[in-house]
Amino acid sequence: MQQSLSENNKELVKFSNVSKRYRELLALDHISFTINKGDIFGYIGPNGAGKTTTIKILVGLIKDYEGEVYIRGKKITKNLNGLQEVLGYHPQDVGFQEWRTVDHLLKTFGYLSGLNSVDLESNIQEALNFVNLQDVRYKKIIHLSGGMIQKLRLAQALLIKPEILVLDEPLSGLDPFSRYQLKNLIKTLSKEGKTILFSSHILSDVQDIANKIGILNNGKIMKIGTPDELQNEFQVGNLIEIEYANSAEHCIGIENIPNIESIKHVNPNRDLIHLKSNEDLDLSIYNILKIITEQKCRIHNFKLLKPSLEDVYLKYVGGEIKRV
Amino acid sequence: MIILWIGIPLLSFLLHFIPNTEDFPITSLVAILIASIGGTLAAAMLSTSIASEKSRHVYDLFLIRPVRRRNILLAKFFAVYFCLIIATGISLILGLIVDGLTIGILPEYVLVQTSESLFISLAGMAISCSIGMLFGILVSSVPVAAILSVYLGNQLTALSILPTVFLNFINPILFALIIGILIPTFILTISIMTFNRRQF
Repeated sequence: MQQSLSENNKELVKFSNVSKRYRELLALDHISFTINKGDIFGYIGPNGAGKTTTIKILVGLIKDYEGEVYIRGKKITKNLNGLQEVLGYHPQDVGFQEWRTVDHLLKTFGYLSGLNSVDLESNIQEALNFVNLQDVRYKKIIHLSGGMIQKLRLAQALLIKPEILVLDEPLSGLDPFSRYQLKNLIKTLSKEGKTILFSSHILSDVQDIANKIGILNNGKIMKIGTPDELQNEFQVGNLIEIEYANSAEHCIGIENIPNIESIKHVNPNRDLIHLKSNEDLDLSIYNILKIITEQKCRIHNFKLLKPSLEDVYLKYVGGEIKRV
Repeated sequence: MIILWIGIPLLSFLLHFIPNTEDFPITSLVAILIASIGGTLAAAMLSTSIASEKSRHVYDLFLIRPVRRRNILLAKFFAVYFCLIIATGISLILGLIVDGLTIGILPEYVLVQTSESLFISLAGMAISCSIGMLFGILVSSVPVAAILSVYLGNQLTALSILPTVFLNFINPILFALIIGILIPTFILTISIMTFNRRQF
């Protein structure tokens, strides 16, 4: 098993039947998933779903669990067996020793990670430039704002130039501008080839960044897939939405197109109709557009209705959702 | 550290001017003061900082790096303990200077008593520090850790060094060396084992 995993270079992280129990509470219930090289894996679920527990197992902070976890095909045992250099970890609510300066903190972490002083200096500069904290390098941590602290968490994760970045709720508690900045930084890291696992309980964050999503609820993985796969799996039928410019200019004869099974005036005030097509959706679209063009109907919007990620999330998580 | 390095030597110096103590060597006074105040301060400092850092998950970012958990604790212990040694050194040197200026050349028995006090102080401080560390690891609440290390820690330390006062046949320096190594080693071992088993 280990050999086959290591042969597959694409598979960087693999959780296989992992369970974790805190006394009576089953925090993780036989979860399995893989993260491939280059993925931005959005790990989403409500508070207490088990996201942080999963992440702590991955970075080696929790050692007492059932199941197997592989990094680069190598099974994690009690110690990470030198895999620390592959992982950069951005914890959720970790505090820093506030009497340290940013420089002192990063140097301490750098030395503990085994960097020599030459590499450390260039890595510190690079990490601070990346998160735009170079101006506060010699400031004490106690004087930094919440947004800066969050960036510092990312900077320390980048210090060793890891292949895999594990970000636990990296955007929580930030103001909108800082969120925007940090999202862009995460996207940039992905473009640079980093593989990223990030957790969030905020749907819009995942939607904006991730190319693969895992939905976790009550310690169980409910669904994993790309955003498109998750949306497509949710069957709502072949629905086409047309929003007319005004009620006086509805096209005549659309309801008579043979492929259209039903028509529904969703919101008469907005001149919004939903057309349900049979399986030959392409032909339905062709016929509808033909009528619209021939009759020169003025429309505001024409689109195929797909379930939103919110619908998918709500289906699996059962209603707890936070939109930003 | 400023309290230890400046406050205690200053306090010792000021106590020298209390009426009827002028003839009492300041160096002896310093050794006693360092053991009680320094040890208590260090124990409280260690226990509260560990309890607080634990609750704020400060150690998460240390523990994910290729460093042994015991090294984190030992580094903390020795950092504080060496600060105490420096404070002791500063205080004693200051005491010797003051005594040299006021009393003149110190009689040999005073120097012997002072060095005995010094060893007992260093042993007491090592015990206090290790107790402070243990309470910091065992207790989650910062105030509880502080109270336990100040009161219980102080009593336990005093209890450990009491034989040097009441048992005349004991060589105080040898006894201080033995308990100053054995007791902190034992307590630190328990602390490290507890810290190793802890889930973060």
